[in-house]
Amino acid sequence: MTPRSAFFARFLAAAILTLIVAMYSRAADLSVRVELNSGKAGPRSVEALTQRSIVRDYKFAWASLAQALESNTTSPLNGLFAGNANELINAEVKNQQRTGLISRYLHQNHNVEVVFYAPEGDMMQLHDTADYDLQLLDGNKTIHQEHVTVRFVVLITPAADRWVIRQLQSVPQF
Amino acid sequence: MRKAICKYIAFAICATAISAAQTLRPPTGAVAGTASSISTSGSGSATFYLVGPANNSKRQIQLGEAINLPANELQTSGRYIAVVCADTCQSAEFFVAPANPASLTFLVHPSRAPVGENDVISGVALPFDQFKNLVVSPVNVNFQLASEGKSTANHAAATREGIAWFRTGSGRSAGAVTISASVNDVSARRVVQQVASDPCRLRIKGELSTKGIVVETEPVKDCAGNPVPDGTIVTFTAKDGKDTDTVDAPIKKGIARAQMIAAGPVVISAASGVVMGNELRLGGEQRGEQK
Repeated sequence: MTPRSAFFARFLAAAILTLIVAMYSRAADLSVRVELNSGKAGPRSVEALTQRSIVRDYKFAWASLAQALESNTTSPLNGLFAGNANELINAEVKNQQRTGLISRYLHQNHNVEVVFYAPEGDMMQLHDTADYDLQLLDGNKTIHQEHVTVRFVVLITPAADRWVIRQLQSVPQF
Repeated sequence: MRKAICKYIAFAICATAISAAQTLRPPTGAVAGTASSISTSGSGSATFYLVGPANNSKRQIQLGEAINLPANELQTSGRYIAVVCADTCQSAEFFVAPANPASLTFLVHPSRAPVGENDVISGVALPFDQFKNLVVSPVNVNFQLASEGKSTANHAAATREGIAWFRTGSGRSAGAVTISASVNDVSARRVVQQVASDPCRLRIKGELSTKGIVVETEPVKDCAGNPVPDGTIVTFTAKDGKDTDTVDAPIKKGIARAQMIAAGPVVISAASGVVMGNELRLGGEQRGEQK
């Protein structure tokens, strides 16, 4: 191997390593842990396949929500929220764009319980006890930082190929 | 050593003074769409941030004065964070509760239900305030079923985390059933069409004509006496010694009718769903068409 090709190989390896590290750190920021308990669901019981779909879709919705509020863009939200939840989150992103604020939801853990599954399967209510690191930034300045536990009452409905969030409302207690 | 202690005490006093300068007292019992305020202590100007579920704002304030939160900044219920930044930032959280119910989302299934079936109709009601917040505190929902203007059933249920529901059987008679859900003066109404169930029994009759055999049912009804809807298929089957032919005929005005060409002895029967009719024995060679 000539000195020039050795240099090129080292450069390429370093570039790949940098890319992997960057991708990994991005994925870590967006990592969301969701645990679902449907043991108390009623009046309809939740099938195993439905449980898996809810975990997948709820996790993706929160990761996308965090991404939208950190990057101040609504494009990650497409199709994951509907109705009132969609209006509110879009309004929040637009308000952040106006004020220059940024919200970061990091290290999210969601303990989700299905508390109501409509008899015809067209609506489900979840209780989500979520804990995460919340950072509020005004430009580059951190104005608020906390590790917080927040309880959410969530309404989800089935869409064509996924469950979408229609209501995402934080409450002091269940 | 003494110097160090003095420095530490001075730092502690300064830190206490700074934090005391920006003490926030958030509102308790805030309600969506109602103006509120946050009291502050200290002096000088600062930047105030309000971060809520759908709303965030930023403005300059004077410490020591109350910060007014207009009604339009508190329309969404949930957790809010108030932050005041001068030299350092201080924050406080508070919750905004939903207002009184102003609308009901009412899901009723199915839109058409067969008569005489248990637990076939269900309804789910969710009260929302005027800002589309789910009213999670318990409220009583009154479900009422009415047919031909007369109330046939009532069911009251308290919401649990914003949801009340019921399930009931269908009545004995075909026709529209109006189902309403109401909370105080807020109500929502849906209509379920009760339709005849499966045919209860089939009786057929036939006669020879110049064109063959004309076979028809008597008026087809369910077990409660409701006429089975037009379009329901009745299958006529004709068997002679070696062949079997079938004709599907839809019910029209309560009766299904078919014409079959037959030579020689033939046995004709009818079926609809899981119900079999009587057998009819006639003569002639057969070929069928619906009428």
